[in-house]
Amino acid sequence: MGMNKSYNGVWVFGDYRNYFQNRVTLQLIAKGRDLAHKLDTKVTVVVLGENVHQYAMEYVAHGADDVMVAEDHDLKEYHLEPYADVLFKWVKAFSPEIFLAGATAFGRELFPRLAKRLNTGLSADCVALEVDADTGLLIQTTPAFGGELLAEVITPDQRPQMATVHPGVFQELPHNRDAWGHIIYPEIDTLPEARVEVLRSRRQQAHNINLEDAAVVIVGGRGLGSKEQFRLLFKLADLLEGEVGATRPAILAGWAEEDRLLGQTGKTIKPKLLISVGTSGALQYTTGIQGAETIIAINRDPSAPIFKMADLGLVGDAGTFIPMLLEVLRKRI
Amino acid sequence: MHIVVCIKQVPDVPAIRIDRERMTIIREGVESVINPLDYVALEVALDLCGKEGGWIDVMTMGPPQSEAALREALAFGADRGILLTDSAFAGADTLATSHVLAKAISNLDPLPNLVLCGMQTIDSDTGHVGPQIAEELNLPQVCSVREIHPQGDSLIVKRLSDGFLDTMKVTMPALLTVTHGILPVRDLRLGELETAFSQKDIIRWGIEDLGLAEDEVGLKGSATHVWRLRTPPPRREGELVKGSSQNLIDHFLHKLEALSILDEEDGYE
Repeated sequence: MGMNKSYNGVWVFGDYRNYFQNRVTLQLIAKGRDLAHKLDTKVTVVVLGENVHQYAMEYVAHGADDVMVAEDHDLKEYHLEPYADVLFKWVKAFSPEIFLAGATAFGRELFPRLAKRLNTGLSADCVALEVDADTGLLIQTTPAFGGELLAEVITPDQRPQMATVHPGVFQELPHNRDAWGHIIYPEIDTLPEARVEVLRSRRQQAHNINLEDAAVVIVGGRGLGSKEQFRLLFKLADLLEGEVGATRPAILAGWAEEDRLLGQTGKTIKPKLLISVGTSGALQYTTGIQGAETIIAINRDPSAPIFKMADLGLVGDAGTFIPMLLEVLRKRI
Repeated sequence: MHIVVCIKQVPDVPAIRIDRERMTIIREGVESVINPLDYVALEVALDLCGKEGGWIDVMTMGPPQSEAALREALAFGADRGILLTDSAFAGADTLATSHVLAKAISNLDPLPNLVLCGMQTIDSDTGHVGPQIAEELNLPQVCSVREIHPQGDSLIVKRLSDGFLDTMKVTMPALLTVTHGILPVRDLRLGELETAFSQKDIIRWGIEDLGLAEDEVGLKGSATHVWRLRTPPPRREGELVKGSSQNLIDHFLHKLEALSILDEEDGYE
């Protein structure tokens, strides 16, 4: 076990689609610098597309030592197979020790396929990354069993050590226009044909749902028991000028649309006040609300993990509490 | 159409508690269920075969008791169960798991037109196994599909991906992972469950049946290892209030006032 000296460098996949909303690549460059420093190596961003020089410049300004660009018309759209082909060949040619991607929809689709082709390990949706001082191995912290536990995963022998990382976990470095870096254009082979044809790809209309910017967010979980109970949260949101979010069990139960999902596979929010109703507090959910300034939680079970992170925990039945609260609040308006 | 649906038996995760002293999962009293999104995959298969006609194999890798998950899937209407079970398969990461599943699928004759998986499981939550099966079988893949329309040898599928609504055409054979919202999962009738337990076939394949070696499966065939488990660090622990609903409401209102979200007297704007 241990360091394989022939592998060197920290790579980050340049995921530039939705650049202004999706900052995970910039966050990974910052974290990558930290890891690269400990391993005495460099951080390189790999970016594929057409006319992507502007992104390469951005990545340098945000801390990348090198940017490797594959510039080709057939890479213009995010297509799995040509992307996997270029990345596979470059990894084989340049032997990075670590390769990171944001856990975006595309990252979560591309990286498993690439890791399999490289016959190496991959951890999913990491919430922390560290270099072990003794072995030099990348310790990849990933939520397990619904987030009740954190598993620290290692890839002892295979290379590169690959991980997808949850957006919002790390902090990007400020834009520095004086930053210095190399932008290189390695050769690419003839690309394989994409076997999945994209007929249409439309940017989704922005909904009325604006969880990220809401000062008050009310989140409902499985403990609410029914769709009717869940609907009451919208009334509470109206009164508090807030927005409604949901945990995965509530969405699986059909009580709310998927756009309202918070946490590991949903949104990460930092409201002034978060009111968590009938949620047990699985890490899958709580990773998305860590940044809330104040958390009030209502749950029947006094041992529910959500109370461990709540500023105010109310032990009680949400089904009784919410209607009473609505009545009191209406009188006060 | 011949469809293979890959499913996983998982603990009912929201019911899990942790023994924080010994860092283990308390499984006592926690039911084993079919992973929720795998039900969706099964519904999609039943819907496609209902329209087009076909045969559905439902496949799982797991301990012998995973047979219960296959029986349940048969009760829903799958035609045959395939249980991949062997003590050597234990401790597999997604690389080793996808290897066994891909090998079992390529063992089928003729090969299926379509492989369906749930987008991710609720216990380990990686979403890796579907794409990795596709890679090993050299199939095109589309993940987190929420709409499917058959069109000859192709499927027109829709999915949401990073803020884009993609409409894609994929020629079979192919692998899709599906997410909720495609089809409602039906309720099971008791009679169907009885029939499934008595009348339908389950094939069992172990390491030798699949022509695999010990070092390519299970823990030995895994590239990742769990170094250690820990509990998430506590954020902060505030006040815990019990008692009457009125008491809870008083505390709630007081907190809102303290945050200036609610004015103290009568004004609320």
